[in-house]
Amino acid sequence: MSNFLFLFRGGDESFSKLSQEEKQAHMQVWQTWMGGLQEKGHLVDGEPLSGEGKVVRDRGEVITNGPFAEGSEMVGGYLIITADNLEHAVEISKGCPIFDYEGSTTEVRPIVSMGEH
Amino acid sequence: MKQESTYTIVDHLFREEYGKVVSYLTYRYGTSQLEGIEDATQEAFLRAMKAWGYGKIPNNPTAWLLRVANNQMIDQFRKAKKFQNSETPQPYLDQASEASGEVTFSETISDSQLKMIFACCHPSLSTEYQIILSLKLIGGFHNKEIAEALLKKEEAVAKAFTRAKRRLQQEIKTLESPVAMGLQSRRIVVFRVIYLLFSEGYAATQGKQAMKRDICYEAIRLALLLHENPYTHHPNLDALIALMCFHVARFDARIDQEGGLVVLEHHDRSKYDRKLISIGVRHLEASDSTTQKLSNYHLEAAVSYYHCIAPTFQETDWASILKLYDLQLKQVHSPVVALNRVIPVLKVEGPVNAMKALEHYRNLKGFKEHGLYYAIKAEVEKEAGNIQKSKVALEKAIAMAQNEAEKLHLQKKLQALTS
Repeated sequence: MSNFLFLFRGGDESFSKLSQEEKQAHMQVWQTWMGGLQEKGHLVDGEPLSGEGKVVRDRGEVITNGPFAEGSEMVGGYLIITADNLEHAVEISKGCPIFDYEGSTTEVRPIVSMGEH
Repeated sequence: MKQESTYTIVDHLFREEYGKVVSYLTYRYGTSQLEGIEDATQEAFLRAMKAWGYGKIPNNPTAWLLRVANNQMIDQFRKAKKFQNSETPQPYLDQASEASGEVTFSETISDSQLKMIFACCHPSLSTEYQIILSLKLIGGFHNKEIAEALLKKEEAVAKAFTRAKRRLQQEIKTLESPVAMGLQSRRIVVFRVIYLLFSEGYAATQGKQAMKRDICYEAIRLALLLHENPYTHHPNLDALIALMCFHVARFDARIDQEGGLVVLEHHDRSKYDRKLISIGVRHLEASDSTTQKLSNYHLEAAVSYYHCIAPTFQETDWASILKLYDLQLKQVHSPVVALNRVIPVLKVEGPVNAMKALEHYRNLKGFKEHGLYYAIKAEVEKEAGNIQKSKVALEKAIAMAQNEAEKLHLQKKLQALTS
C-alpha cells in the first residue's frame, strides 16, 4: 500500500452556472464519495484550497498572483489516498464527482515514502 | 413519488441561506450595491460547495457564508477604490459581537430578511416585479428554476429580474424596519404578494411540478417568517398560512403518475397529508379574531378545509362550502368566485338553480368567454340531462384550454359522454 496525492483542478466555469439546489446537490455527492473512501479506509487526509494565493519566485523578489489565475489551472483541493498501486489509485479517482463538470481534471501522484528509500 | 411534506423539513439549505446572506448585506450596504452583493454571495456559495464537500457543514452555516461574502464585498470596494479616502468597511461582525451569542445573530438575520420582504413587496412595484424579486432575492431561486416553474424562457426571467431590480433600486435605497413604515397597509400588500406567489406555484399549468411545489413551500416559508415576528403577526396571516397548508396537503393527490392533473372528484384521499392539514387547522383556529372581519384568506381556507376533511367527493359538505362562497361574494364581488360558486350550487340545489347562477354570471358586466365557464357549463348541462349541450360546451372548453393537462382532462370527459 502507498499513499497518493489527488489534485483537483478546474470546473469553476461550470460551477458558477449552477443553481443553489445544484450546488447543494454537488456538495452532497462529494460528501458521499468522501464518506465512501473513508469507510473503505482509503482516505488519509484532504482539504479544500482557497481561490487566493501567491507564487513566490527568486527568494521573494518576484511575487505574483500565480499561474493559476485561469479557472482551469486552479487547484480547488487535494486528497491523500491509500491505494495498492498507481492503477488502483487512478481507479479510485474515477469516482470523483468533479468529473461531472466539463474541463475538470484530477492529477494522481504517488507520494514517495522516505522511509523505504 | 412521496416527497417530504413538512415545510420546515424540506432541505433547501443553500437556497434559503442565499436569501439570508443577500438580505443581510443589502441591509448593511444598501440596494445600490445589489449587483455586487449578488456576486459576492454567489462566490461565497461556490466556496461553501467546495469546502463543505470535504467534511461537515459548519454549525452556523449562515455566519460562515456571511463572513466570506462580506470579505468579498470589501475586496470589491477595494478594487473599485471607492473607499480609498474613507474608512474601509469592517468585516460584518467583530469578535466581541460574534461571541455575544447565537440569539442576537439569528435575530439580526431574520430581521433583515423581514425588511427585505417588505422591500421586495413595496407598493410602488408591479405584482410581476414583486414576485420575481421575492423569488430571486429572498427565495434564492435560479432563473432556470423560475422559468421551469412559470413556463417562461430563462432569458425572459433574467430580463424581468434586471428591470425589477433597477426599479427596486430607484424606489428603495435602504432597507427600513417594518415598524418604522406605515405597517398596517404595507403588511396587507405583503400578504397579498405571498398569496400570489403561492398561486403561481399552485396553478395547474404544465411547469415542472417539483419546482412549482418549491415555490409553494417558499410562500409558506415567507409567511412563517412574518408569523414569527410580533409586528407582522396578524389573524389574516394565520388564515393565509392555513389556506396554503390545506392546498399543499392535497398536492400528491392532485397529480397522477404521468404528471397529469387529477380533478378533485377522483383524488385518492389517502394521499392527503394529514400532518399538514392539522398544522393548517391550528393556524385557522389562531386566525379567529373578534375585532377583524373575516378576510378572503379565511373564507378560502375554510373552503379548502372542507375539501380536505371530506372522506369522499360525494360526502363533501357542499352546503357549508356554498355558504362560504356567498359570504365571500357579499364582501367583495369577484367574477371568479361567482363562477366557481356554480359548482356548490349544483351540488346543493341542483341543475336548475345552477343554470340560473350560470346565466346570472353570463349577464354580469365585463363577461368574457373562457374555458372554465364552458367546463362548468358542461358539468351543469350533464347533470340536467342535456348530453348534447354538455358536449358542445366541452368542445368549446377544450378549444379554450390554457394547457395540455387541462385539455387532456376535458377530452377524457368528452369521451366518457360520447361512449
